[in-house]
Amino acid sequence: MPAFDVQQFRQQFAFFQQQPEWVYLDNAATMHKPLVVIDAVTQFYQQYNSNVHRGAHQLSQQATILFEQARSTVASYINARHLHEVIFCSGATAALNQIAFGLMHTVLQPGDRILLTQLEHHANIVPWQLHCQRHGVIIDVVPLTADHRIDLVAYEQLLALGPKVVSFSHISNVLGHIQPVAEMVRLAKAAGALTVIDGAQGIVYQQPDMQQLDCDFYVFSGHKLYGPTGIGVLYGKTEQLKHLTPIFAGGEMIDSVSFINTSFNKLPFRLEAGTPNIAGALGLSAAIEWLQKYNNEQLVLHKSLLLKEFYNGLTFIKGIDILSSSVHNAGIVALNVDSEHPADVAELLNQQQIAVRSGQHCAMPLFSYLARPGAIRCSFAAYNTLDDVNRCLLALEQTVEILTA
Amino acid sequence: MTLEQLLADTKPVLLDIQQRDLAEIEQAKDWQAKYRVLMQLGKKLPAIPEKMKQPELLVKGCESRAWLMHYHDKATDKHYFVLDSEARIVKGLMAIMLCLVNGMTTAELCQFDLCHKFDQLNLKPYLSQSRGNGLTAMASRIKQCCK
Ligand SMILES: Cc1ncc(COP(=O)(O)O)c(C=O)c1O
Repeated sequence: MPAFDVQQFRQQFAFFQQQPEWVYLDNAATMHKPLVVIDAVTQFYQQYNSNVHRGAHQLSQQATILFEQARSTVASYINARHLHEVIFCSGATAALNQIAFGLMHTVLQPGDRILLTQLEHHANIVPWQLHCQRHGVIIDVVPLTADHRIDLVAYEQLLALGPKVVSFSHISNVLGHIQPVAEMVRLAKAAGALTVIDGAQGIVYQQPDMQQLDCDFYVFSGHKLYGPTGIGVLYGKTEQLKHLTPIFAGGEMIDSVSFINTSFNKLPFRLEAGTPNIAGALGLSAAIEWLQKYNNEQLVLHKSLLLKEFYNGLTFIKGIDILSSSVHNAGIVALNVDSEHPADVAELLNQQQIAVRSGQHCAMPLFSYLARPGAIRCSFAAYNTLDDVNRCLLALEQTVEILTA
Repeated sequence: MTLEQLLADTKPVLLDIQQRDLAEIEQAKDWQAKYRVLMQLGKKLPAIPEKMKQPELLVKGCESRAWLMHYHDKATDKHYFVLDSEARIVKGLMAIMLCLVNGMTTAELCQFDLCHKFDQLNLKPYLSQSRGNGLTAMASRIKQCCK
């Protein structure tokens, strides 16, 4: 395989031609989309637009075939056993809400426990909180070690309390740390718990293999995998998806309805109420097919080179407080300028057209643990270049200079 | 520290900002120069003591926390403000807002178009909704004081 050519890769993103002056380092929030994805969405609306699973006409049948092909692309990408194990939804947040809602009273009974970790995104905390409070389910939280990683010793101790469900992120959206998910799933299964993985940040780092990972649920959003917004995936093992009470009802998810009783359609339709985001699914599928033309190891290597350069450059800037560790890091660096508010740092970077996120990144429990008011987050993607890294470093230097003048 | 003291300390600073710093910001050659002034503004204003930063003074809608104290002198019908923020640039921008309205009567405050004035000062970009800096929230909070 030829060496990874970042310019060739980057050229496929019209955004960078439209906005050449910007350094985009907010990839953990959302990624740019290659032309093939934008084309797939446009092409659907221009050539095939029809509703799926319902029309008597050929157009609808064609749209249905494309939509189901998209499901098949996703299923084989994550190596699901069955197509119906891929449920399309609007994103990771929707998927986690469906799982938390859906397990109440089927798997989770009053007095049961579930296990989360200190570094979760609010999307993997609040849905659980909402439903656990109403149903009397207890939430335990795995603490972190001194280097801000999940404390596996404490994890095992908390697993001994017998949680029915364990839910954790594949990669921290703030710190970029890669969690030992395979080990965590193995331990949870040995303790008899169902496992939910929030793969919102993990999906673009690694092609996850559902059969090998053997988790019960894995969720992600298309827009963090070069795909469109408003489409995401809830993967679940067949036998666990059956436990999920649908959070939404109506449309194709129903088999027969009377005012006495309604019986539900089979999977995956039972969990896909209403008209799905058809164009989104096709866009996501196009993103995956496009991405598979590249060797993921090369993309990961490229990102790790950017990261190395960035960490190296940071050591030359005075007063930088780095929260992310450089080892087992997927390409996200959270940092502060000593005793300065992250909002000020982000504003000065913004003036220099460096796009980063600042604040608490939907992870307030993590920040109260870190005892910081927030941080700025630089998140790298495979289309970022060494020039991006250097421009960000220069801008940070200028920022520190202004702030400490 | 009392509100009276804070008001007394804040008033001359806001006046000074209005009379001197605004011109400097307008004349700033580049963004660096503009931001250097903005940061100095934040530093000039007296800080609200921690004890006085009651939750009801928080201006919602900021990524950084900001507090606004308001005093209406009924005898003269004039409005006075005290401000603090965790973030220095935000504090500087908010100070500019305040210096424009500090000491206004109720009628003046009601009529005053903050956004227009910000525009004139070439500061309009900071007012956009999407910026989590809370300036829009601060503007509407100030406006509420004349209700
Ligand atoms: C770890 C993690 N979980 C969940 C989400 C929620 O994703 P979405 O907003 O696409 O539903 C995000 C997005 O920021 C995330 O980073």
